[in-house]
Amino acid sequence: MTKVRELIKIDPELCTGCERCKDVCPVNAIFGKKGEPHKVESSRCVFCGHCVQICSGYSSVLDEPDTPRAEKLRERGMFESTTEPLFAAYCAGDALEVAAALKTDKFSMVQCAPSVRVAIGEDFGMPAGSLTPGKMAAALRRIGFDRVYDTNFAADLTIMEEGHELLARINSDATLPMFTSCCPAWVRFMEQHYSDLLPHLSSCKSPQQMSGALFKTYGADIDGKAREEIYSVAVMPCTCKKYESARPEMSMEGYRDVDAVLTTRELAYLIREAGIDFTSLPDEDFDRPLGTYTGAGNIFGVTGGVMEAALRTAYELVSGEPVPDTDLLFVRGGEGTRTASITIKDKTFKVAVVAGLKYVAPLLEKVRAGEADVDFVEVMCCPSGCISGGGQPKVLLPTERDDVYMCRRKSIYSHDKDAKIRKSHENPDVQKAYADFLGEPLGHTSHKLLHTTYTKRDI
Amino acid sequence: MSSSLSNFIAADSEKCIGCKLCEIACSQAHSGSTAFTVGALTSPILPRLYVVQTPEITVPVQCRHCEDAPCANCCPVSAISRKNGAIIVENKLCVGCKTCMLACPFGAIELLPVYENGKPVMQPVLCEENETSVDEAPMLFAGKCDLCMDRAKGPACVEICPEKALSLIDPARMKRDRNIKAAMSFLNTSQNFS
Repeated sequence: MTKVRELIKIDPELCTGCERCKDVCPVNAIFGKKGEPHKVESSRCVFCGHCVQICSGYSSVLDEPDTPRAEKLRERGMFESTTEPLFAAYCAGDALEVAAALKTDKFSMVQCAPSVRVAIGEDFGMPAGSLTPGKMAAALRRIGFDRVYDTNFAADLTIMEEGHELLARINSDATLPMFTSCCPAWVRFMEQHYSDLLPHLSSCKSPQQMSGALFKTYGADIDGKAREEIYSVAVMPCTCKKYESARPEMSMEGYRDVDAVLTTRELAYLIREAGIDFTSLPDEDFDRPLGTYTGAGNIFGVTGGVMEAALRTAYELVSGEPVPDTDLLFVRGGEGTRTASITIKDKTFKVAVVAGLKYVAPLLEKVRAGEADVDFVEVMCCPSGCISGGGQPKVLLPTERDDVYMCRRKSIYSHDKDAKIRKSHENPDVQKAYADFLGEPLGHTSHKLLHTTYTKRDI
Repeated sequence: MSSSLSNFIAADSEKCIGCKLCEIACSQAHSGSTAFTVGALTSPILPRLYVVQTPEITVPVQCRHCEDAPCANCCPVSAISRKNGAIIVENKLCVGCKTCMLACPFGAIELLPVYENGKPVMQPVLCEENETSVDEAPMLFAGKCDLCMDRAKGPACVEICPEKALSLIDPARMKRDRNIKAAMSFLNTSQNFS
């Protein structure tokens, strides 16, 4: 077994052993004695970064650290110019690597997850949940990306593939319930703890990986480039996306779908390093075709979003009629588990949404026992979905965290509400991608590029 | 006399886990900035209480707002005074002489850099190499607990502590309460004296 990269680490010089990280770790991957520096066991870790978000053991300017700050920054993959305080729990970053790659003559393509655009402004002093897709696109262009695409395009594509996969499973009495597979921490958890249930996971790659696979094929063709000329970067609210991008299943003929993943925080470092004043940037559009998205693609960033986007499309695919109300409020909610059902034509679909990895075990035990009365389940590791991801701007005070997450959530939904197109199957550039390149959902090309396999992993 | 005793913040070392959130909340309460994420901070975390961690004990240390405050007594420019029952430093008057730092038996005072609009305020100082020219250095002031006098919700450290280890002590009230508690405890035993 290849050893996983130690993505989430705890700096023993800064850790006070308060154990608040231990309390939020959904997989008990943090070890140590109370009052002494703790350690993350990478083989158990699902790289969600909850510990990174809660850690308050900071490096004070009033104390001389044993290891100079410059060295700590280097270890963390941060620029020497970054002035923010350092905390004990951190995610080993890739900002330096991306900055260096952007100086080469590679043709760079970037994608951003939905949750990045509702949070990155916060790291530049903007109010909580500021919606800044236009400024983000402008910043990425100024940093030097040749194509500014969007993960939301692939979120729409995911709905097409996953929706058809679900209907195919239902029609052929195949393994049900089907679980979503966009959250890499959840997928890793399944592979570690419930490998007997892996056939329940949708075979769809996550939107990040679907985007990456298209960048180096369809996208490369559009720009007349060869696969090896493309440098593919993803900006994610999630620390586990770094792990996902490095999975051996996520590459083709030796070329990774996604070469590097930056967290939202790391993108902010890059923007600062480039001397860009983010708040005064003009709004710019994403590039077409792989940057075109609908409201449905955007709500992937919140818990219940994948389910809602899937149901909007499934309803119309099955019934041939428009969904009566685009806002499917019954799947929206917060941390924990919720269930709902929707009747399409004469068939009732039972769905469940789980937000927070620690809530999923009871449902999995039911599935194992063959007693789960549900067809389709969305699982996200983070308590409010990706908007609360481990790579998002770190809220200093836990008392403010819920409010900040609520603002991010509101922005995600308002961005959907204001979108001209709010259903994934109506995305004109997704339709075009199928017509020009992919063929049909679950077709041969889709199968090769957009679907994946899972395997049991030891702890 | 005890009705005029100053309040102060104290921590229970049995409860403190050493997370340092009190330091962060303290810094935020005094920063004058609206930044609420780590990335948006334009000045360092500058607390006015200090979590001490030794093999034997973990607990934050902060100003006791002494009745005969040595810091105020020794300040040569009268920058430290008692206001509304708290020992307060008038930052603008402070010359950074560090006398109060030496005088404080708790180490509750630290010379902190002055930040305005996210930038350190600089002041001209004599150049080390050439005595006739001036250089620029960050302006410092004696930073200490002010009991978050201007904060509607009271002291930020008390509010944030996840273990409820910190509390605002009103010594006069505490004494009265203890008197009452002691008196009540006599209820069960008083018959023995009759």
